[in-house]
Amino acid sequence: MAAAVGYGAMKPTKLGVEESHETLNRIRITLSSRDVKNLEKVCADLVKGAKDKQLRIKGPVRIPTKVLHITTRKSPCGEGTNTWDRFEFRIHKRVIDLISSPDVVKQITSINIEPGVEVEVTIQDV
Amino acid sequence: MGGKKKKSFIDKKRSATFTLVARDSASSSDPLSSNRVFVRTDNHYDYSVPGFLDSDEEQDNRHDESSIFADAVEESGARYAGRSNGSGLPEEVRKEILELGLPDDGYNYLMHLREIRNQGGGSAYYENPRARFDLVPLDVKAYDASRVRLNSDAVKDDEPGVDTIYKVASKSAPVRVQKAIDPDVIRLLDDSDLSRFGSDVEDLEEDFVLMANQPDGEEDENDDVQVKKSGADEEAVYERESDSEVDDVVQQRVRRPLDDAFDEAFKEYLSSDEDNGPIFGDENQAVLEEKLKGALKDFNLKDSVQEEVYKAPADSVKDDQESAQVIRKCTEYAQKYLNESEGEEREVVLVSESSDESEMWDCETIVSTYSNLDNHPAKIEAPGNPKRRLPPKSIPFPGELGAGKDVITLGGKEMLPVNYLPQRRKIMEGLVREKLGSAEKPKKVVGEESKEEKKERKVALKNERREARRAKKELKGLYKSETQRAQKAVAVTGPSSIHLM
Repeated sequence: MAAAVGYGAMKPTKLGVEESHETLNRIRITLSSRDVKNLEKVCADLVKGAKDKQLRIKGPVRIPTKVLHITTRKSPCGEGTNTWDRFEFRIHKRVIDLISSPDVVKQITSINIEPGVEVEVTIQDV
Repeated sequence: MGGKKKKSFIDKKRSATFTLVARDSASSSDPLSSNRVFVRTDNHYDYSVPGFLDSDEEQDNRHDESSIFADAVEESGARYAGRSNGSGLPEEVRKEILELGLPDDGYNYLMHLREIRNQGGGSAYYENPRARFDLVPLDVKAYDASRVRLNSDAVKDDEPGVDTIYKVASKSAPVRVQKAIDPDVIRLLDDSDLSRFGSDVEDLEEDFVLMANQPDGEEDENDDVQVKKSGADEEAVYERESDSEVDDVVQQRVRRPLDDAFDEAFKEYLSSDEDNGPIFGDENQAVLEEKLKGALKDFNLKDSVQEEVYKAPADSVKDDQESAQVIRKCTEYAQKYLNESEGEEREVVLVSESSDESEMWDCETIVSTYSNLDNHPAKIEAPGNPKRRLPPKSIPFPGELGAGKDVITLGGKEMLPVNYLPQRRKIMEGLVREKLGSAEKPKKVVGEESKEEKKERKVALKNERREARRAKKELKGLYKSETQRAQKAVAVTGPSSIHLM
């Protein structure tokens, strides 16, 4: 049990031999973007990469999209019919939870990067 | 839900957060490393993940002395491998700060100090490439004394050339006088030729008056005067030559073969004197007169040569000509007229007015004596009554309703004064007749109103109404442009509920 505590809780069936020597961390990857297509692509790649390495992964959780509205007058002056522009700004967010060692995660995240996708990684021991 | 919140996967307070950002290419950029790096974004450095970042990145983040965070005051616990001192500055820097007497609180005061490399004191020395130090500044006047000739009693020796200042002056140094900055200004100020003041006759010197007044032996002193005068301005004095020295300069010039040729030609010119005498001299006046008379003989201008007496053209007219007779007659008449008026003042002429009753003046006769300027021939009528343009006061105005005649009522869509101007009689009468249509007719015709009369009346009424409508339309069209303009103004300024059209 000490070993299990030291190395983090893990399912024995999924682990390879090599991974038992490394510290495992809880890793949460948060992806946010304005572009859904790129975001989904990055998510899919991450998940695929993690699955290839046989990591415990909790699939991409889709956080509700935040829409920011900006409503402005179209006219630069005050003259004319009062027409308004309605601009919106959509932020999509996906969360992926992993349990693995940090090096692996670094490898995975360094491979595929789409422009416009922001990646944030939170690591915690256990 | 109602239940306890289940244990979250990540506890934010005990985790490290990294963000993937583009690499700052200033640092090591070898092709093996990727474009993006992980940068720590949270502040609790207690938790460190040694395996996540590269070793050198960790170094960059925390142990770089030259990074902007290097000397920042650390938060809880500054327990890093690379640090041994508490102030966060390298040893040399600390020593230097202590030497200068500044407090040792971990702040790098050397950033605010500057090395003094020049001996300029508090100010820095800036190299001015255009500064010229060999020029005399403007508050010093330099006179060119190289041409000053000394008096003979000031000169001790009899050596030639010793009468210049250089031999006598105890100390002389070559100094270049500072010129004006702008070459255009120099050109304007340097009026050495003074050509616009020069006379056309070139063989006069500029100070010929002085020279003429002084005997020739004293010409040398003029040079001194000249030089002193010209030294009064700040220009480069040595460039200007005083004019009295022009002769000297000319003589000192090397004689060219052209000079000899010129002298020859001049002698020839002077020698051949007969024909080239002055043309406008007095002895040739008579000859000229003869010539002129001969040339102008055909034109009968015998008196073209003027004499001393001033004569008007009328005086030179002879009596046998027509113009002379006319002129004479005119003068006679004028004199007669003048004499007549004078004569009238002396005599009093009495004119009796005829007040005979037999003379009947009637209007036509009197009028015929007027000129058409005052009297336009038309039948004179008695003046009309101007008041009949307005309807009688017993009939109230349509918009009046108790307002006095001093109040101008506004009505209609455009809020214009109603019934203020005297309208055309037709319209008003039509309106009035409309109102009183029922009142008038039964008063006139009580019983027998035949069909024709009724028809007549109705037709008349219709006509009047038609006229009124036409007039109203005309008026409306007149004011349409005005309402458009008013609408525009109201649309901008006023609430949008106002519609004028």
